[in-house]
Amino acid sequence: MNNDLVAFTQWIVDHGVSQTVLELLISVCIVSTIVSIARYIVGSKTYGIYAPIILAIAYSYTGLKYGLAITFVVILTSLLSYSVLRRVRMHYITRIAANYTILSMVLVLFFVIVDTFGLGLENMSNIPPLAFICIATLSDFFIRQYIKKSIKTSVVTLLGTILVAIAGWFVITRDIISNYILNNLWIIPLLTLFNILLGTFKGLRIKDLFRFRFTTREDEK
Amino acid sequence: MKSNNPIKLKKEVLGLNRRNQEYVRPFNSQSAKAIADNKIYTKRVLKKELIQTPEVYKLIRTKKQLEFLDWDSLPKSFVIKPNAGTGGNGIIVFYGKKKGKYEWIRPNGTVMTQRDIILHIESILEGRFSMGFGNDIAIIEERIKTDPLLKQYSYKGVPDVRIICFNLVPIMAMLRLPTKRSNGTANLHAGAICTGIDIGTGITTYSMHMKPNSLISDTYEVIDSTLDLKENKPLSGIQIPQWNTLLEIALKCQKVTGLGYVGVDIALDTDKGPVVFEVNARPGLGIQVANQAGLRWRLEKVKDVKIKGIKHGIRVAKSLFGGEVEESIEAISGRKVLNIVERIYVYDKKADRSKLEKYKDSKRELVKAYMDTGVLTSRIDSKLANRIGYFNDHKQFEKYGIPKKFESLKDAQDFIDKNEKEIIKNSSIKRLAKIVENGEIKVRPVFDIPIKIEDQIKITEFISTEISDISQPVIIGKTDLTGYLIDTTNTF
Repeated sequence: MNNDLVAFTQWIVDHGVSQTVLELLISVCIVSTIVSIARYIVGSKTYGIYAPIILAIAYSYTGLKYGLAITFVVILTSLLSYSVLRRVRMHYITRIAANYTILSMVLVLFFVIVDTFGLGLENMSNIPPLAFICIATLSDFFIRQYIKKSIKTSVVTLLGTILVAIAGWFVITRDIISNYILNNLWIIPLLTLFNILLGTFKGLRIKDLFRFRFTTREDEK
Repeated sequence: MKSNNPIKLKKEVLGLNRRNQEYVRPFNSQSAKAIADNKIYTKRVLKKELIQTPEVYKLIRTKKQLEFLDWDSLPKSFVIKPNAGTGGNGIIVFYGKKKGKYEWIRPNGTVMTQRDIILHIESILEGRFSMGFGNDIAIIEERIKTDPLLKQYSYKGVPDVRIICFNLVPIMAMLRLPTKRSNGTANLHAGAICTGIDIGTGITTYSMHMKPNSLISDTYEVIDSTLDLKENKPLSGIQIPQWNTLLEIALKCQKVTGLGYVGVDIALDTDKGPVVFEVNARPGLGIQVANQAGLRWRLEKVKDVKIKGIKHGIRVAKSLFGGEVEESIEAISGRKVLNIVERIYVYDKKADRSKLEKYKDSKRELVKAYMDTGVLTSRIDSKLANRIGYFNDHKQFEKYGIPKKFESLKDAQDFIDKNEKEIIKNSSIKRLAKIVENGEIKVRPVFDIPIKIEDQIKITEFISTEISDISQPVIIGKTDLTGYLIDTTNTF
């Protein structure tokens, strides 16, 4: 049975789907399922489903240490630049655009500083640029939430997103897991089924248990 | 306050998953949600049913309209809100204007210039505060003149009452009071105080607000009194004015919008009376904390009930979910509330007293008892006492030929002192008591009889006598009413 499935994977690879693409698609399936679990069973907030998926995959390319360092710089820069820019009376989109320009400059500066001082991040220049850009887009999610709601909400959501992304990174970077799924692609439809079932889950989220722990006082009339 | 175990929570509390799956999606159609999600549309629909909403001064749909806005035509106080806003985002309340300047004052004292307001409106138009990513409309509308009673509990903004209705039954309600932190809005997430309301009476019960400095979102802190006021006031026990009218309006809103599960926000205006602020198709679940009661239990209770109309819905709600105030009083005063006439169980003499609590089938009789603080010792009608096994004791008591009446209390006491030991010997009579009944002084037997009152079993000392009102064969006296409050409004 297992051999058939390996052959099936081989057949896919032989028919124009590179192994890297296949691995990436598997990662998307795994991380999106983790996001579903985090949302509907745990109750953690994330910036939608796109941000944690892209972040987890980016981390798998950058390595967690580098990924988190870039995330930290991106968020800190966004926060500072927005805090300054909000004092200026300006339109909404221009504010976000200005934030991106400042972020780009700071990231260049960050590269230079790392190159000069090391800071334990000596391999920074080997990071694929696309992964780098993916993390930078987190700025948009962060600022958007900050503007629409509040700094507290945005920070809480950011932490949720990063935690889910780390969980996703952990799972997709385990060779044993990715190899197993690569050779057992039947797991993918199973994940679809799991997500469908999770979509109909009506029980309390772990966060609800915490949120309403003082709620019931009576009602057993 | 002790927390509940997760199993109990699961049964009683409504979580986000179930709210969406079981109530919002099946009972709120897309077209009904479209009404609730659009404040202008909501106003139009409610107007048809003569339900009052805040008067709209201006609607700004484009930047061009904003450019030509006649600022002089705006009153000193007004509210700006996005048409499709969520969770109170983008709502700005102005309650005053600086003389001779185009500057308006917000509840927390900060000033916004005309330029600031233009930028805020532009942000609204760009959809910064709205659901989805599209553009939005800015509404400039009247600021409600809050009813004086509720005004004294609120920090500058407008308090409102949220009533959650399902299947044409008001399920749960809360009063939302703006605080300094919420900056005039009554939104729980912004920092407003939420106070549970007893559906039966419209009296406030428990209160809470979101913890200000908690990193974990949606964590609550239970509070007793208002915040930020010069003199903070207790929050429980406030009678919401026009309570029945508010319930009726909430149900009317449900009917006219077609939302099966809905949260209706109503404010009380000094001149206009109840004014509906908003109709919410996905009302938040924090109301459960404010009421310290679960929504799930209540929703399931009314799910299959056929409600004939608004009045019927209110009656159902009051009888099913009312009565929280009594428990609230109990929580505050540590005392239970008893009705002036209560149904109690009187246990048979032969019932095993050690097992009364364990065995529901212990021989007992359900009777009405009258709470009478005018008598000291409780009394039981002798015929009822005979029925529950004291017949032979009465017989023994009568055997001694005790005089039907005594000339004075001293005579009665002398008689008791002389004969009590002999009379109560080998019987269940605990002692003899002298009583004044219909102007006559009598000596009667006293028994210890177990009763169950308000879910408590207690051995109570009863004087057995003739009680004229046979429908209430038990009178509970002052001695046994210690620790209770008597509610004289409810009788059977």
